[in-house]
Amino acid sequence: MAQLVQAVALGVLIGGIYALMAAGLTLIFGVLRIINIAQGAFLVLVATFTWWLWRMIGIDPIVAAVITTPLMFGAGWLLYRFVIARIRGQAPSMSVLLTFGLALVIEGFLNVVAGNRFRSATPAYFEQSFSVGGILLPKAQVYGFLAAVLVLGGLYLVLTRTWTGRAIRATAQNPPAAALVGIGATGTAALAFALGSASAGVGGSILSVLYPFFPASHYDWISRLLGIVVLGGMGSLPGALTGALILGLAETLTATYGSLQWSTLVFYLVIMAVLLVRPQGLFGTQLREDAT
Amino acid sequence: MSRRHLVPAGVLLALLVYPVINPWQPYPQGVMLAAFLLAISASSWNIISGYAGYISLGHSMFLGLGSYTAAIVALHTGVNPLWVAPLGGVTAVLVAVVFGAIVLRTRGHAFVIITIALLLSAQIVATNWASLTNGSDGITLALPFWSSDFQNIPFYYAFLLLLVLTVLFSGWIARTKFGTGLIAIREDEGKAASIGVNTTIFKTMAYAASAFFIGVAGGVYAYYQTFLNPVGSFAILGSVLIVLSALLGGRGTLYGPVLGAFLVQLVNEGATVYGGNTQSRVLILGLILVAVVLFLPAGLLPTIEAAWRRRHPVAIEFTDQAAALSHDPVAAQRELGTPTAEAGRPLLEVRGASKRFGGLTAVDGADLTVREGSITALIGPNGSGKTTLFNLITGTMPADAGTVTFAGRRIEKLAPWTRAHLGLGRTYQVTRLFKNMTVLQNVVAPLPDGRLRTMLADAVSGAEADRARHLLDIVGLGRFEKQRAGSLSYGQQKLVELAQVLMLEPKLILLDEPAGGVNPSLLGRLGEVIRELNRGGVTFLIVEHNIPFVLELCDPVVVFARGRAIAEGPPALIRADPVVLDAYLGDDWRGADAHA
Repeated sequence: MAQLVQAVALGVLIGGIYALMAAGLTLIFGVLRIINIAQGAFLVLVATFTWWLWRMIGIDPIVAAVITTPLMFGAGWLLYRFVIARIRGQAPSMSVLLTFGLALVIEGFLNVVAGNRFRSATPAYFEQSFSVGGILLPKAQVYGFLAAVLVLGGLYLVLTRTWTGRAIRATAQNPPAAALVGIGATGTAALAFALGSASAGVGGSILSVLYPFFPASHYDWISRLLGIVVLGGMGSLPGALTGALILGLAETLTATYGSLQWSTLVFYLVIMAVLLVRPQGLFGTQLREDAT
Repeated sequence: MSRRHLVPAGVLLALLVYPVINPWQPYPQGVMLAAFLLAISASSWNIISGYAGYISLGHSMFLGLGSYTAAIVALHTGVNPLWVAPLGGVTAVLVAVVFGAIVLRTRGHAFVIITIALLLSAQIVATNWASLTNGSDGITLALPFWSSDFQNIPFYYAFLLLLVLTVLFSGWIARTKFGTGLIAIREDEGKAASIGVNTTIFKTMAYAASAFFIGVAGGVYAYYQTFLNPVGSFAILGSVLIVLSALLGGRGTLYGPVLGAFLVQLVNEGATVYGGNTQSRVLILGLILVAVVLFLPAGLLPTIEAAWRRRHPVAIEFTDQAAALSHDPVAAQRELGTPTAEAGRPLLEVRGASKRFGGLTAVDGADLTVREGSITALIGPNGSGKTTLFNLITGTMPADAGTVTFAGRRIEKLAPWTRAHLGLGRTYQVTRLFKNMTVLQNVVAPLPDGRLRTMLADAVSGAEADRARHLLDIVGLGRFEKQRAGSLSYGQQKLVELAQVLMLEPKLILLDEPAGGVNPSLLGRLGEVIRELNRGGVTFLIVEHNIPFVLELCDPVVVFARGRAIAEGPPALIRADPVVLDAYLGDDWRGADAHA
């Protein structure tokens, strides 16, 4: 029983972190209808940079998010303005190929600059745990989870309480109508992409402590994140949260009762089972534009 | 043989004699061999991602599946891997069908994601199912059975043969109605479904077709390498090369992926020789991929072809109005056979249909009966739910409530393509032709039934194409068959769309504002065509704002408002009904009257 509670608690902690990472992906998809295949590479890029900050300057990896987040916001904005905006209006598959290319560029860049080897940031609390009623919660996971919840909450406030957020949501629902009421589509799109990238800033810093990474591990990450998004329903934020929790639980439960190697596979099987029953994902709805 | 195939045939000849005239060169032969493998992969990929437009980022999985299948079977039976290589293709097809059938039921993006997940999953399985795959240690196969004097020349010819077969297969698909349907899916999936294309089956079949030859090649490749392990067999970099090849050469074209594969293989080889390690290769390939997407999105072959067209323009022709207007009316009738129906029986019955979009109820418990042999009009103010009702009838959208009966059969739960097969055709308010296909391809694309024989029928020549040409003549656009549909005027597109629907041999045609954007003389012709077809036994349901056109052509007229029918009757009665006039025809009517 204690083992089960332990696994569930860990699953929720990890799920919260996955939720943050997937939120950026869903936000970008919701507004731009672009699947950002490079989101995983953003995470690994930030993780590497965070590792470097920790190693060279001694900044705590999770605290480093304060630096990496605005950096990624700016980088995302520039990337959208100067690269991704160029293929607006083309077939959606082109954006998949473009962001796939960007992911490769980042991977190759990291290979050349940082070398093709495993890294992991190991601050002092790395192997310590909080003990709550006999259940061990690793400090790194707890800190990461808190940071993720904080940022997700902030993202939610930005989207619901600010003019910018309303503009982003309006553009997500109906770009022409948003343009008619004075919301510039390109500017809003750039903002959404920047916000999505910024979430990879926080996510990547957390990742550097929790998981060993190397340049090519972005495939694992994008595959997990995309799995979450498909499971929850493309473009749905509640769907991404639910999907992330399911992934977190599937991983820890499989690792506890089965073996670690199969944990990702179990999650993919869950996705297939869900798609078998609900082709549009858990929270996905058929959109009006699908039909007309 | 047309001129288009001359250059590839010459290249093939050169490749065939190359090992004979230059036999002691293992290195260039090895590079060529790798290029053949890449070309096989890219041509296979092109079927699902080029023709149907569904990008697969994990296609190298099929190569690995083929390798493992051949290697495992060879290991357990002692048969040479070369002879069981086709089994690799079978495994690849099975996996594609199973996962395609799950993932390809929806439109859009889930597919690309699953292809990455599948590739990574295959690697996990191959690593962890050690009893079958020998885990991460991999499998070592026997050396080739032939004398080492022959070097890799047998492999050279094996891959070349597979490449030729792959290209022939891909070319054959492009010529069938199946291929036309795939391109239709790429251009506009919703529209494709409405003209009888069973999109789920088409996409799944395309995925399976794109898996076979790469799977077979995988089996041969395993023997060529004599060693395979999970990391090498399911490498994502292999997928990158495939995608890049097809994209660079021109996806959706027959020879583009092959051309691209040779170029990419050269770059890849150069990067390995001069660029140092494989690490920098990822960077180089990534940069090329980004550059191609941004600056050469159509790929080399289509770009060259477009440049050629610009320098050698074809004279523009105009709508053959004279021919359209003078076209023998009997021909249209012949086209649709003899009237079969005893007129007056209900052909389409809608009962209590409702559709809500959030808080807005677009169709509110609507009833509608269309009698066989009639030309029924559906009029009403904008936003009264006419087009949404069309969508419910054709299955473009699921209804929240209500029943739809067509020719005595309940159809409200059937897929759009099944309804099309039953004889229900429609056109759209804003035309939805496949703009990058030619006019003829547009008209030949519809499938009147779901049989495999129809799918695999020749689309670009033969009986189907003749029928399509004939239908184009009826609407006066026979001269335009080779033009891109997107280059036609709006009114012309409306007419092509009508010809397209006729290809379905429909019992009932739903026309959504057929007169919009059609000039008066052609409008007269349109009315005539509708009457001719009607005499031939086709029933019509027409939504139209051009009231004089409606009142002259249709009987009965149904008036729709706030999501349901409020009046129905012959045009004379509707014309006189003060309630209808005041509430629903209103300014529309008086305005039209003033013009008339």
